[in-house]
Amino acid sequence: MKKGQMEIIGLVFIVLLITIGMLFYVKFSLNESESKKVYTRSGLATSTMSAVMKTTISEITCFGPYQIRGNDNYITIGKDLIEDCAKWHQSQESEYKCNNKHSCDYVEEIMTGFLKETLGVWNKNYQYTATLTDFNGKTTELIKISSQKGCPRTVDRDTSVPFPIRVEQTGFVENVIYICD
Amino acid sequence: MKKGQVNMMETVAVLFIFFILIIFGLFFYYSFQKGNIQKEREELLMARAMETTSYCLELPELYCSKGEAEAEGHCFEVNKLKHAQTTINGNHQYYFDIFSFAKITVHQIYPQKINYIVYDYQPSAWTRREPTYFIVTLKEETSNIFANQEFYGLGYLKVEVYS
Repeated sequence: MKKGQMEIIGLVFIVLLITIGMLFYVKFSLNESESKKVYTRSGLATSTMSAVMKTTISEITCFGPYQIRGNDNYITIGKDLIEDCAKWHQSQESEYKCNNKHSCDYVEEIMTGFLKETLGVWNKNYQYTATLTDFNGKTTELIKISSQKGCPRTVDRDTSVPFPIRVEQTGFVENVIYICD
Repeated sequence: MKKGQVNMMETVAVLFIFFILIIFGLFFYYSFQKGNIQKEREELLMARAMETTSYCLELPELYCSKGEAEAEGHCFEVNKLKHAQTTINGNHQYYFDIFSFAKITVHQIYPQKINYIVYDYQPSAWTRREPTYFIVTLKEETSNIFANQEFYGLGYLKVEVYS
């Protein structure tokens, strides 16, 4: 091999070394801590579902069977409204009504507000669905709320544990929220 | 130019490039180490943020209970929140050992917007603040002549830690 060729190989080797060094530098300098993101997202998803399902409605324009239940005088989003939505989703009327709206529409409206005021303000994307599975295994999407971008499968997203609600003579409603950055 | 001089120039050039490469290497190593230390500091801060948030969610001074040992998940009692700051300020050292420099607030968003400051101890100088959020339900017990009623509002816990 001639001296000139040797020098060119040396030069290429040096350029390669510098390039690899730079790549490593960029890779490590841009690497963010994932552990907190995952903890926050999955914790947030679980706490969001748990808290929202338990929330009671103070709306004075609501009426329904809860009024004759006695001491337990408030409507719960999970136990009352989503259950009612599952029972009456095929009908124009529902047993519970708030602001003269069908329970499905009212849950969608109030939950959209809750999620916008919390996850939306913190610049998190989210996607909530309540899906009814009847005793024959047929599934129906009752409520779907999503931020502008949503959380498609293609992005790094975390979810809560599914919050199932058993609805008498109807089936199960599975409530799932996905949160992504 | 004589052949010896040319050889010498070549040697000087090679040495020059060699030292340039070493300087490059040192620079990269320094930047890499600096980045690593910065990352480690951030990870420590984030770990502290997670730890403080977990402590908060399980703090008996805040969580919902009905006299049982086990707490209701993701739930704070409004009556406890109203008095939390007084309790915490009265036992400052005890809570500082748990939370260190941090600000803990609970924001009620439904039915009304109300903010509760639970703990606020900020360092005089800080470079970074790491907030963590969790959505919680806020239990308020009201009573009338017939029975006790429990109303569950909605809010969020905001934990900010400093470094």
